[in-house]
Amino acid sequence: MAVPCFSEPPRIGGTLVWYFSICHREVWFMSHGIEPDREDDFLVMGRLIDENSYRRDRHSVSFGDNRFDIVKVEDGTLVVGEVKKSSRSIDAARLQLAHYLYDLWKDGIIAKGQLLFPKEKRRKEVELTEETRHRLDGVYEEIREIACMAAPPKAVKNRFCSVCAYSDLCWS
Amino acid sequence: MGKTIYIFSAGELKRKENTVVFEGEDGRKFLPVETTDELMIFGEVSLNKRFLEFCTVSHVPLHFFNHHGYYQGSYSPREFLNSGATILAQAACYLDHEKRVDIARRIVCGAMENMAVVLNYYRRRGNESLVSMLSNIESYKGKLDKSDSVAEIMGLEGNGREAYYSAFDHITGGGPFAFDVRSRRPPQNRMNALISFLNSMCYVTALSQIYRTHLDPRIGFLHETNFRRFSLNLDVAEIFKPILVDRIIFSLINKKVIQAKHFEDGPSGGIYLQESGRKIVVSAWEERLQQTIDHPRLKRKVSYRGLMRMEVHKLEKHILGDQTYEPHISGW
Repeated sequence: MAVPCFSEPPRIGGTLVWYFSICHREVWFMSHGIEPDREDDFLVMGRLIDENSYRRDRHSVSFGDNRFDIVKVEDGTLVVGEVKKSSRSIDAARLQLAHYLYDLWKDGIIAKGQLLFPKEKRRKEVELTEETRHRLDGVYEEIREIACMAAPPKAVKNRFCSVCAYSDLCWS
Repeated sequence: MGKTIYIFSAGELKRKENTVVFEGEDGRKFLPVETTDELMIFGEVSLNKRFLEFCTVSHVPLHFFNHHGYYQGSYSPREFLNSGATILAQAACYLDHEKRVDIARRIVCGAMENMAVVLNYYRRRGNESLVSMLSNIESYKGKLDKSDSVAEIMGLEGNGREAYYSAFDHITGGGPFAFDVRSRRPPQNRMNALISFLNSMCYVTALSQIYRTHLDPRIGFLHETNFRRFSLNLDVAEIFKPILVDRIIFSLINKKVIQAKHFEDGPSGGIYLQESGRKIVVSAWEERLQQTIDHPRLKRKVSYRGLMRMEVHKLEKHILGDQTYEPHISGW
């Protein structure tokens, strides 16, 4: 059954950008309101880590279609922090954070990004460059194309399937 | 996957801070809401709005059964997995005659294959009288491909089930559990009472699993949507009734776990399971649902309850044009 392409373009928030680097099928599901299994152990753990770390900093700040985990000011510069359970998919996390910085930049706000891995007691700085902005423009275009597909992209096993909250749906 | 909690005794269900507490004659019992998927309520239970609100935020549906163990209805928390795209696709599949017939056919075909699996199991153990029923089911299954209306498919399903039910006395040896014919509302003998009770458990379990996916339980494909509140759960249950409900019935009767004394006459005719009998059946049901099999694609163990959820996921993928639905066929 072909699902019609929506006239309303997908809201490209951090999660979609993050999913884009991990699995295009996730992008299709998410842009169609098909959420992952909430009881998934990894998802629950991620939620707990997010809720219980860096409690002193501000949490869950909405900005456009995004939700920043942490917003703070360091040495007069705005810093956006993204909390991740592990650095397993650090490239996806980098792109997600760069997308936040890009959205802020479009509003005239210059900010720095910090990836936070509380369990690994590690952080990584992320900066927005001309190159990443260009890369992101391409990503947005591809996300829109995926969201417009009549059916989800076929399931293909990758190294994230074993920890993915969509795996029951994909491999049932 | 969380737990299902069955309440047989009388008492009060309350919210106590962030947990559920049941206060009955035997004192207080705390129910961990985080790990509870659904509550099945058989006893005389009182509850208030504050409790229902808590069930909503915790996504716990409540299913109510009357004094005779008949399903009365559910409290379904506000839908929490909302996908407009999925519901539109589901409705479009229902409205497109060919697509609906195709899904209905697949469901009935799966149900018949599972009936055959069950009969073959007993045939392999030396019950040769089942061969004729098996060939009848096979011939009805063969006619499915040529049927091009849902009514026709429903008819074949009825024929298949009749042939299948005629095998029951050969498996149980009749006696106090002689089947005769299928009778509902009220069931006229013990076998019918068992089937009715367990079928309703199967429908309710399927309903709870659908609730945890993006499909809408109100839009079924084999069962007509117009006449019922829920119908997709009846579709899903068709696949599982032979391998869950009927296998439990045979095993309870043949091992003499359930006996004539566990039944009673209803006040206005019919025969029902007594409370003691219901407890036996429910615990056998729950035990079976928790049994696991190795899932070939997921590469992990999945319980029969989980398998029901997988079945809904498979339907969801079929509807979304992702992957053609192939019903679960039991391996033994």
